[in-house]
Amino acid sequence: MIADWSHEIVLAATILSWFIIGAGLAQTTIYLLQLVFAGYALSKRPPVARSALLWHRYGDVAPPIALLVPAYNEALNVVESVHSMLALEYPNFEVVVINDGSKDDTLQRLIEAFRLTKFHRPYEEALVHMPIRGLYSSPMTERLFVVDKENGGKADAQNAGINVCRAPLFCVIDGDSILEPDALMRAAQPFIDDPERTIAVGGTIRIANGSKIEAGRVREIHLPRRLLPLFQVVEYLRAFLMARLAWSSINTLMLVSGAFGMFRRAEVVAVGGFTKGSMGEDLDLVIKLHRHMRDTRRKYRIQFIPEPVCWTEAPETLSVLARQRSRWQRGALECFFRYRSMLFNPRYGRVGFLGFGHILIVDVLGPVAEVLGYILIPAFWLLGILSAEYLLAFTSLIFTYGVCVSVCSLILEEAELQRFPRARDLAVLTAAAVVENFGYRQLNNFWRVKGWWQFLRGNQGWGEMTRTGLGGAKK
Amino acid sequence: MWMIWNLSILLSALSLLIMLFLIARRVLQERRDKVEADQRRQLLTALIAFTENRDREALKAVMLGVPASVAINAGFEFVSLLRGEERNEVLVAFHECGLPALVGRLLERGNVAERIHAAEMLAALGSEDATASLLSALDHDHSRDVRIAAAIALCDLGSLPLLGTALDKIGVAGQRSRRLIDLFRRFPRSRFNELAVHASRADAVPFVRAAAIDALARTGGFGFADFFAGLARNDSPEVAAAALRALGLTGHGAAPAILAVAMTNADWDVRTAAADAAGRLGLSELAAPLSLLMDDEFWTVRYAAANALRALGQPGERLLREMAGSEVSRSQRTASLVLAEGPAA
Repeated sequence: MIADWSHEIVLAATILSWFIIGAGLAQTTIYLLQLVFAGYALSKRPPVARSALLWHRYGDVAPPIALLVPAYNEALNVVESVHSMLALEYPNFEVVVINDGSKDDTLQRLIEAFRLTKFHRPYEEALVHMPIRGLYSSPMTERLFVVDKENGGKADAQNAGINVCRAPLFCVIDGDSILEPDALMRAAQPFIDDPERTIAVGGTIRIANGSKIEAGRVREIHLPRRLLPLFQVVEYLRAFLMARLAWSSINTLMLVSGAFGMFRRAEVVAVGGFTKGSMGEDLDLVIKLHRHMRDTRRKYRIQFIPEPVCWTEAPETLSVLARQRSRWQRGALECFFRYRSMLFNPRYGRVGFLGFGHILIVDVLGPVAEVLGYILIPAFWLLGILSAEYLLAFTSLIFTYGVCVSVCSLILEEAELQRFPRARDLAVLTAAAVVENFGYRQLNNFWRVKGWWQFLRGNQGWGEMTRTGLGGAKK
Repeated sequence: MWMIWNLSILLSALSLLIMLFLIARRVLQERRDKVEADQRRQLLTALIAFTENRDREALKAVMLGVPASVAINAGFEFVSLLRGEERNEVLVAFHECGLPALVGRLLERGNVAERIHAAEMLAALGSEDATASLLSALDHDHSRDVRIAAAIALCDLGSLPLLGTALDKIGVAGQRSRRLIDLFRRFPRSRFNELAVHASRADAVPFVRAAAIDALARTGGFGFADFFAGLARNDSPEVAAAALRALGLTGHGAAPAILAVAMTNADWDVRTAAADAAGRLGLSELAAPLSLLMDDEFWTVRYAAANALRALGQPGERLLREMAGSEVSRSQRTASLVLAEGPAA
């Protein structure tokens, strides 16, 4: 009986293996192409000018910017964060802190530190959000404005900030992010060089774990001393910096990170702002912007700049990282299915084919195919159903190409950007780029599959994102 | 299948080899950077000493003893902090050490960032050859950012070719940059007519025309009021809005009539500019059209109209209070919000 079925079993196993290897091959090809595009974009981009030169050059023509900072239960760090934001080097900006119904004394800390008083400011109710309880201004600085509103989540708070702000450009950041002093000036550069077409700009987010931080500034750059954030440094280089740079070079950038993104207010209002309750509100907004601009047949650019503009704290424990990655996966799936009509739709050009094609292969199919491969390919080989050739092909796609892509990202970084200060750091990162493919990558895919499962079950929880606080980094 | 495996081994090994080479290169670079940092410190110390003792020979000796790149960068940074006689004397030392020639070479052979910086340095150094080098960059450089920087530097040196020619050389793509606003604001008074000619050219890029009008309004003054009045009815909303903003700064005998017409324009940006200008000029005869704008579908227009009414003084405030007390509508809400603006009671 088994002999009767053996042919069918071998055929089914072969087809399944081809699907798994095909998905891996497609993913690897995308990564290699990204490296080529990113390399080209980096070689064309002029080396970074010094901050003082940027001010000298752009200071007089820099457009006003509103820095929107949603804060929920941030009492511990909010005052220091706001002080550091007010000290940013930019000629014309205001900081709008949105207290999103914090349960702790975030608002009280701000009121005391900046002697805030209630203030009436007319604003357009262009976007829907939870009611605002009060607006506050400070007699100490005209640059600071605080919005106190009922809790509605990050997207809701950002929408309230967009309504209240008056600048033509706004920049969203996470409350616990640390900005480089010249971050606004660098991110505003595309809006100065091409003000009519540029509608959004994303910047490089770096991991601050291990670096020396004083008074809300990164004073000395060091690599994380723990393994998990160290792997994430390589991951940020590969998956975020190189990928975004590559897509930006062909105007197909699908994600401007919520940790730091600058947008033209008018276009964001036109698409209805951030989608409330979305798991990936940053991805969602950029997709909406692409759709809107293509629907209205307007020329536009969504750009990514490789200069580091913002520092963030990476999760240091497996449980927190697992929650973060599952949530990111749910966010990607949610956006993919919400805007699925754009996939391979000629109306949306390269955004539909390349941008959505990338999400389909890397985010939708990628983790499932890879985790299936970990289980099935070795099992088929051990059972004698598949030859060693299949096992080797799968192994090479996961491990050896993985090493190649990670190390190539590091090569591009070093050849063009050189942001890691010491040769020793490079050696450590090279080792991490090799090792992360043996264990960390597999874990990551497992979490992403978990995210798939949660998405299918309709789990909308964010999970607790415990942070140790950047103030606790190396001193 | 074997090919996938073999290729992956080859690519991984190759990437690791390249990375090892880059690490070795970095080790050497670290040593070089340390030496350069010392040289830079040495030069800055000499420059500070020069501002106290004016010993030019000592400064030149140090300057010639460090690599050209260090001398150029540290020197320019330092000189940008100085003014007047002190600055001139440092510049003389720079000239005697041949720094402008080195910067000129950088303008030809550096990467884009270095070429832009070189153009800025040449404007600051103001050597005899600077104009020729910058004109050459404006003519031939393939980066529009460098061409714009060269044009700004030439403007500072008083050697910018005719505006039309310069803009042609910058190219159409470069004519979208806000850096042009910077260029126009540096224009000498004697060449304002070129800005005016360009602003009235129907075939020119609207963004450039608007930037030229803004620059004229900021520095040209009332002398261009007639010109702005003429452009306020322009077909291009960008140009018309800029002209209305300019009229708001200079004023004009026919401003009430022009602004009243502009307040009915189909473009919201034009209506906003007209309301702003009416408020700035305090034209109380425009209270009625401003009241109509309080019901505009665009918040920006409504807010500008409300502010303009407030700027008219008592009559405007009275109108706003009447609107705020009327039935719920767009204008009622805008009026209440604007009247309440400021610290809470």
